[in-house]
Amino acid sequence: MRQMGQLESVVMQRLWAYGRPVAVREVLEDLRKDRALAYTTVMTVMDNLRRKGFLTRELVGRAYQYVPVQSREEHNAAVMGEVLAGSSDRATTLMRFVEQMPLEEVAQLRQVLASRAPNRKGRRR
Amino acid sequence: MLVVFAVVVAVHGRWLLSRSGWPDRSPRLGILAWQALTFSIFVSVVLAGVALAVPEVPISADLAALLSACTAAVRTQYATPGGAALSVTGGMLAVSVMARVGYCLVAGLVTSRRQRRRQLEALTLAPRGHEDRDALVVNHSAPAAYCLPGRRKQIVVTTAAVAALDDDQLAAVLAHERAHLHGRHDLVLVASDTLRRAFPRVRAFRDAHLATARLVEMLADDVAARRSDRLTIATALVRLAEASAPPAALGAGGSTSLARVRRLVAPAHPLGVTGSALTVLAAAALLATPVAVVAAPAAVASAADLCPISFPGQSPS
Repeated sequence: MRQMGQLESVVMQRLWAYGRPVAVREVLEDLRKDRALAYTTVMTVMDNLRRKGFLTRELVGRAYQYVPVQSREEHNAAVMGEVLAGSSDRATTLMRFVEQMPLEEVAQLRQVLASRAPNRKGRRR
Repeated sequence: MLVVFAVVVAVHGRWLLSRSGWPDRSPRLGILAWQALTFSIFVSVVLAGVALAVPEVPISADLAALLSACTAAVRTQYATPGGAALSVTGGMLAVSVMARVGYCLVAGLVTSRRQRRRQLEALTLAPRGHEDRDALVVNHSAPAAYCLPGRRKQIVVTTAAVAALDDDQLAAVLAHERAHLHGRHDLVLVASDTLRRAFPRVRAFRDAHLATARLVEMLADDVAARRSDRLTIATALVRLAEASAPPAALGAGGSTSLARVRRLVAPAHPLGVTGSALTVLAAAALLATPVAVVAAPAAVASAADLCPISFPGQSPS
């Protein structure tokens, strides 16, 4: 299962990189440069991605051509967007280390910390 | 009787607990107190309905004949001046309350599962910052650190969050999230959230959920502090809060983060043995009272020796 996820990620990265609709055959040839893969494996992966809603496909000639539903930036933004939106309903789905807060509160936090540890600054890496 | 108890607990119990500061000192006990409070209210209402319904519960003719004297005795003990109408109402009350809670519980669990799975799927495809043992590092310009509890426990941090913290602080954040996952804090939140969504107008349930969410964060802070130290966790909190820009326009009052930082910069001050014992006893009393009140008439009936049931402490004769 873990390998499937890995492969799905690799395939998705390629699809985003191509920037145009591609058939399974083309993706297979591309991936085969780095690893041994069967046509059916790549076909399954791309079909999984389609079922999950990340890819869409169109019949061109005799083969399907796949293309991502969202651009990479849109996808990323969507993934994090849900998390960062910070609705209270999310509290049971995921648990954030620190919640979203207004500027005044950030200032208050800094004050509280400074009062106790005046010389403690985050050492940037 | 039980309904009065439920109301008193809901109003005064909630008021008392909301105002007290001791839960922050020992979050685990605080969570226990709030859970006991809300569960006690829920159980009281349901059992009140059950108790009212007992006089009218239909029993098959044969069984009734067998236990005729016992049945009559039990029924008289539970009888109220309201008669059949009140009993039916009571029964319906109990059933509908349980159904409502059951529905909210299932719906909530299904939604959470679906949302988490969706998140994980999408995260798998998002470009990675770098690999880490526990945490999934996602390439993103806004700092975020969170965990996805449930069957597939996963901690997620963004590259921006990693950049904002030093090694110790990052370790503290991971320890905090790990505490949530291993402690199954999500279960306790599911309980309080279910009651809140089932009966949103009951203030005790709303407050209990908010308090539990807050206390769960403090509990995770405490667990993380064993590996790290309180000041590091507090600093990590502030650094991440600073790095999040622009801040959201929404300003939810009574911020958990502020309370957490204030608490972390001061030395730990947990409840002593006496305080802890008292809390556990109070929680037990809250939970035992409705059960005892409901069972009492049955105990009286069985003491009359007409029933083939015996209660602990009674000699069967």
